[in-house]
Amino acid sequence: MSFTPEPGTPLATYYAETQPRVGAVLSRRTIGLLDAVTIGRYAMTIGATDPVHHDAAAARSAGYADVVAPPNLLAAIVEWGTGTPEADLQPDGTPNDGETPLGDPGLGLRVMGAGEEMELVNPVVAGTELVLESTLAAVTPKQTRTGTCVFVTTLNTFTSADGTVLNRNRRTVVLRNPLQES
Amino acid sequence: MPVTFETGDVLPPLKHTATALQLFRYSAATWNPHRIHFDESYARQEGHAGLALHSHLRAALAVRCITEGLGPDWQVTKFAYRLRQPVYAPADLTYTARVTAAERNRMTLELTEENPSGELGFEGTAWVSTTAGATP
Repeated sequence: MSFTPEPGTPLATYYAETQPRVGAVLSRRTIGLLDAVTIGRYAMTIGATDPVHHDAAAARSAGYADVVAPPNLLAAIVEWGTGTPEADLQPDGTPNDGETPLGDPGLGLRVMGAGEEMELVNPVVAGTELVLESTLAAVTPKQTRTGTCVFVTTLNTFTSADGTVLNRNRRTVVLRNPLQES
Repeated sequence: MPVTFETGDVLPPLKHTATALQLFRYSAATWNPHRIHFDESYARQEGHAGLALHSHLRAALAVRCITEGLGPDWQVTKFAYRLRQPVYAPADLTYTARVTAAERNRMTLELTEENPSGELGFEGTAWVSTTAGATP
């Protein structure tokens, strides 16, 4: 018999609402133009000093059309464009319309990244118009040493405007009950 | 010809100290408003021991261990990882990559992240191939 969250808990509510949606396309949208400053800032914050991330001439010498993103840049950016107004963010700061369904804000679930499988199909260079399709791939409850969790996996496929696949990422986050109810 | 590697080879470890300032800049660069990464009192309310490193930052550091260790003749084609436990800033971290399978133009490497007490916080696998320009 498979494990399910304890009835009456916020995680049980989340699981009952979200598990039936496995397989659904959550969103498909143009997310905008990736520019060289975004790539350079990301490389700066992770300490990646390779000139291919910062200097177009160096990138072209290496065979790229323009500066190239570090491998997990597309996976790492949480909000594209201007983002969510502060008043509309959840109490923990997360946006409610992200790629992963986080449940009703009233549930008070705690969320953290848990892992990812990234298929890096083509280089991601400055000047690319990006399209992102997100599909709910799995919703799996587990009992761990820190309590009951639900692992949520989304398949995030990033393409350029001409349909070229750039990244195919299976992103997993872990949701837990509010602290007082763990 | 790209530099060749053999099964069992270990790349130079990447040692990194993650600071609260780096977490703030990473949140800003990725437009990530999740408070557990920059609001310590909130993070503690959620039961964390301090500001939590972003999983993607830890992944980025791990990938740097690969890309900087292998050099420009190799590219990462696939990368998978899972977190075994959270890490809190400031954190002295060591990322290590070991070749587990090697062919002429492709390899598989295992990646780990250790804190100073030797605890494993993160484990992953990277698949790499020679870059087109470097393929003989």
